[in-house]
Amino acid sequence: MIEDLLSLTSQALVAMIPLLLASVGEIVTERSGVVNIGLEGILILSAFVSSLVTFSTNDPYLGLLAGALSGLSAGLLHGFISVYLRGDQIIAGVGFNTFAYGISILGLINTWGHHGASPMVSKIPFFGAPLYISPLLPIALIIAIICWFWLFRTSSGLRLRACGEDPRAAEAMGVNVLRTRFLATLLGATLTGIGGAYIVVGWIGQFTRHISAGRGFIALAIVALSGWNPALSIAGSFIFGFFDAISLYLPVKIQLINPGLNLTSLSYIFRIIPYLGVLIIVSSLFRRGRAPRDLGRPYIKE
Amino acid sequence: MEVLSLKLVEMRGITKVYPDGVVALRGVDFEASEGEIHGLLGENGAGKTTLMRILYGEIKQTSGEIIFSGRAVSFKGPWDSMRSGISMVYQRFSLVPTMSVLENFYLYLSSFQRVGIEEVKRRAEDVMERLKFRVPLEANVEDLPVGVQQRVEIIKVLLSRPKLIIFDEPTSVLTPIESRELFRILKELREEGIAIIFITHKLREVKEITDRVTILRKGERVGTYETPSVSEEELAIMMVGRGIVPAKRSVSSPGGEVMRVEDLWVRDDRGLHAVKGVSFELHEGEIFGIAGVQGNGQLELAEALAGMRRVERGRILLDGRDITDLPAEARYREGLAYIPDSRAVGLVLEMNLMENSILTSLRSFLGRGGRIIWPRASGRAGEIIERFNIVGSVRSQVKYLSGGNQQRLLVGREIIKAPKVLIVSEPTQGLDVAATEFIRSTLLKFREEGRSIILISSDLDEIFELCDRIAVIYEGKFVGIERSENLTLERLGLLMGGVNA
Amino acid sequence: MRRIILEVSLSIIMSFFIGYIMLILMGYDANIVFSIVIREGLSNPTYLMIRSTPLILTALAFSIPSLVGVFNIGGEGQFYLGALASLLIAYVTGNPLLSMLIGMAAGGLLSALIALIKVKRGVNEVVTSIMFNWMIYFSLLYLISTYLFDPLMPYQSVSVPKAARIDYLRIQSLSIPIIFPIAVLTSLAMYFLIYHSALGYRMRVVGISPRTARYAGFNPESSIIVSMIIGGAMSGLGGSLLILGHTHAIDSTMSGLYGMGFAGIGAGLLGRNNPIGIILSSIFLSMLLIGGEAAELRARVPTELADALIGMIVIVLSVPYLVRILRVRR
Repeated sequence: MIEDLLSLTSQALVAMIPLLLASVGEIVTERSGVVNIGLEGILILSAFVSSLVTFSTNDPYLGLLAGALSGLSAGLLHGFISVYLRGDQIIAGVGFNTFAYGISILGLINTWGHHGASPMVSKIPFFGAPLYISPLLPIALIIAIICWFWLFRTSSGLRLRACGEDPRAAEAMGVNVLRTRFLATLLGATLTGIGGAYIVVGWIGQFTRHISAGRGFIALAIVALSGWNPALSIAGSFIFGFFDAISLYLPVKIQLINPGLNLTSLSYIFRIIPYLGVLIIVSSLFRRGRAPRDLGRPYIKE
Repeated sequence: MEVLSLKLVEMRGITKVYPDGVVALRGVDFEASEGEIHGLLGENGAGKTTLMRILYGEIKQTSGEIIFSGRAVSFKGPWDSMRSGISMVYQRFSLVPTMSVLENFYLYLSSFQRVGIEEVKRRAEDVMERLKFRVPLEANVEDLPVGVQQRVEIIKVLLSRPKLIIFDEPTSVLTPIESRELFRILKELREEGIAIIFITHKLREVKEITDRVTILRKGERVGTYETPSVSEEELAIMMVGRGIVPAKRSVSSPGGEVMRVEDLWVRDDRGLHAVKGVSFELHEGEIFGIAGVQGNGQLELAEALAGMRRVERGRILLDGRDITDLPAEARYREGLAYIPDSRAVGLVLEMNLMENSILTSLRSFLGRGGRIIWPRASGRAGEIIERFNIVGSVRSQVKYLSGGNQQRLLVGREIIKAPKVLIVSEPTQGLDVAATEFIRSTLLKFREEGRSIILISSDLDEIFELCDRIAVIYEGKFVGIERSENLTLERLGLLMGGVNA
Repeated sequence: MRRIILEVSLSIIMSFFIGYIMLILMGYDANIVFSIVIREGLSNPTYLMIRSTPLILTALAFSIPSLVGVFNIGGEGQFYLGALASLLIAYVTGNPLLSMLIGMAAGGLLSALIALIKVKRGVNEVVTSIMFNWMIYFSLLYLISTYLFDPLMPYQSVSVPKAARIDYLRIQSLSIPIIFPIAVLTSLAMYFLIYHSALGYRMRVVGISPRTARYAGFNPESSIIVSMIIGGAMSGLGGSLLILGHTHAIDSTMSGLYGMGFAGIGAGLLGRNNPIGIILSSIFLSMLLIGGEAAELRARVPTELADALIGMIVIVLSVPYLVRILRVRR
């Protein structure tokens, strides 16, 4: 029993890392007034790029870096479209998800000729048995705490938040709203890119077609549930990481008890656990009116 | 007081042409000195705010130069001018509503210099001491009444020790008592040597507070005068190019009761009581005015009467029929009509004129099975255009119409339905004199046909010009209902400030 | 109406440009790919109509709610649900009409749920829609592989019985799949609903300015819910028509259904959220998709290229400036 709990927890701690990085990044972005629905696409794209780089160089850390850079590029695109061209942020994000998916699978096929998955690549080692902790976990936690401190205890954080609450007033107070929003989008996308790379080089070990399977949207849900507070998103990421772990764990356990069942088909029904969890928790706990006032609206200077 | 003051700012030959061809300013010269209150007078649309926004760095002029403290300057944005010592107190305040007063101060000061929150607090206390009033530092701005918010804005602006402060129509959100208090503060600031530019369209204020006044008309400077040397009438003529002709209201003989409101209680969006037990009757052929500064419950009252907002307690009777629980669409069919104070609410700006003309009487344009009969709608739109002199066509997109034309559409759409009772809120806000006169005479004509109007306005001249009886609303209650002949401007001002003299 | 056709044509031309540039950037011979795609895409009109049908409906599923200001990203899940419900009803009763109606109802029920969560709890519909999409995706995979598989052909579900299948109409040498006119008529009906009915008027006002809608006495919440129900029903109908008129079964990897909802978003935007425009844009996109599959065989261009292209088109269309260029001045 304890063993199971331990193994579940270490699974959860691994699964929470991409969720935490993406949600903290998106909290910063949304606090400045921009919503990036394209997190899912960034996760997929950076997962692919990092698998490619890690495969060629055999260095998972370079893979992480590549993931960060892919995130940055995605951020440049979304930031440019949303902030400077005043595009509809939700549509641009949805389009990006489809685009990133297409490009990544295209890359997968062109590179390795396979339609489902890439070959295995080297991974970042864990430390600390029996709880296998990835070195990226403390890093992600520190990033979350730093972001919390920065947003709520510094004047530059205050200025960023003002952009998301009332950009006109912020501008009148001397804040360069467009530039702040653009940089916040870049930061959020880069962190998400690291998260996406991590899924490959720190966890699954390869790039697959459904590598993300909605994690980008779970991160969006975590942003809202945590009240746009990076410290609370730590808890949220852990909870959903736990759901993720359970959904993989239960079918295996059940099959041990009942060997006659087909594992593949069985595992399908358990895969819905994380999504159902998000749905139920979000529907019951969400409180209106805590979002940044100007979220999602393009800032148009006269 | 005969001190030769230093010229602080000089604007020469300022011209501003917008990309769509509109000429907002044409070769305007303007200057202000230290230690003076300089009024900038003009009707709505004359270019006063545009000129000051150029000075403040928000907009760039097409041609012309600005000289500040003896040096030619070209500000790249408000933060630039702020650093040089120019500040602006807007009509719509530039405060972040969801943050606290102190956070707003901190935000403001940190764009000038690296400063800790303790220092900000200290400076704020200093300023409040000097001006002899306080604001709660920890409260969220949006929770404060508008008058207090303006004080927060003033304190904020003073934190950076500016040399020049521009006030844009500051009294439009204040009661007469609060305005007097504001003027006291302005005089204090003048004593400290700060140059104050006071934008207004109210002649009385120019005479009351300014040392000098510059008049703008249609983007051009008409002249600059020492205030004591000009009269209100002369100012009016310069402002409009002709005398302003107030509407002629004939003596009325109101008929029977057409509407009755009994002990109405209504909550606002945040759940607090905005209307606290309001009662009155309305008669045929009368204009009943509700005077008050915006934010005292008028909006909630109007919305409750129109059916947009739930009534918590009390009754509304139209022609004897209880309509308290009727939804808006049904009330409009019963003969009630509402013109809200915001054109963005009353019109669908993205739609065309024809589509807008059926907004509040949709049922009359439906055929079998809920089909819209567009030819009939087109006919109605054409009627409105003709009767109310709208510059536009049936298919014009409303957002491209001028403010005056939009207002004519809004007013015309409701009046053409010939409702029994018309509720209208701030009908001439932001309009130029010609449109204002048209709308006011339209309302009077409506009254002469024996119909009734409830007029909600913060413009006291308008209230006196149009209303037969006047009620003053203060903090959700009526503090006096009288025939307008029995009221004076002073008494009205006091009532609006909550003083029951 | 002419204006919409003109605007959509401009959007389509712009998409051609984007596609051309993307192909070149990715190292493909754009001319060859384009000629294969266009030739193959238009070579079989019957097949083009079959493929356009579900796309028209998933496009409506996105566009109608978006007129009210709601983003129905859940078209994917509503599509699956409609297909499943139709399959089951057809299998059990053999009645195509009933099957279509139940398919619509299934889709509509799901979207109604999403709308209720939005209206009553304030939860953004994008997140809930995606959660439902994935939940239904995995549930369907489970059901098909565990209970509903055809013992003779275990890689797919049981089939729709012959009596329930929707057939073709032969006019001269052209074979018209009846599901296509059903989709087109549905689209025209939606056009009338939106621009000529009181319901459509109210929905449009709510979408442009909810405060104005409240002033006029319209209830924004009911408009949101109604538009979502309609959207879900459209998507459900799309899934239903696909099953009844084309594939007659769901394969165990759901590859025939996957992505139709998202492509619908692209078709909706390309069609400027107008039902008439959607008919055109759906035909265009289907042409791309069919041609893309052919190109996969001939020029080794994977089908995911279409995803990338649709995604890029959607991104570009999110920018109002560019959209304004496409706006034809009255």
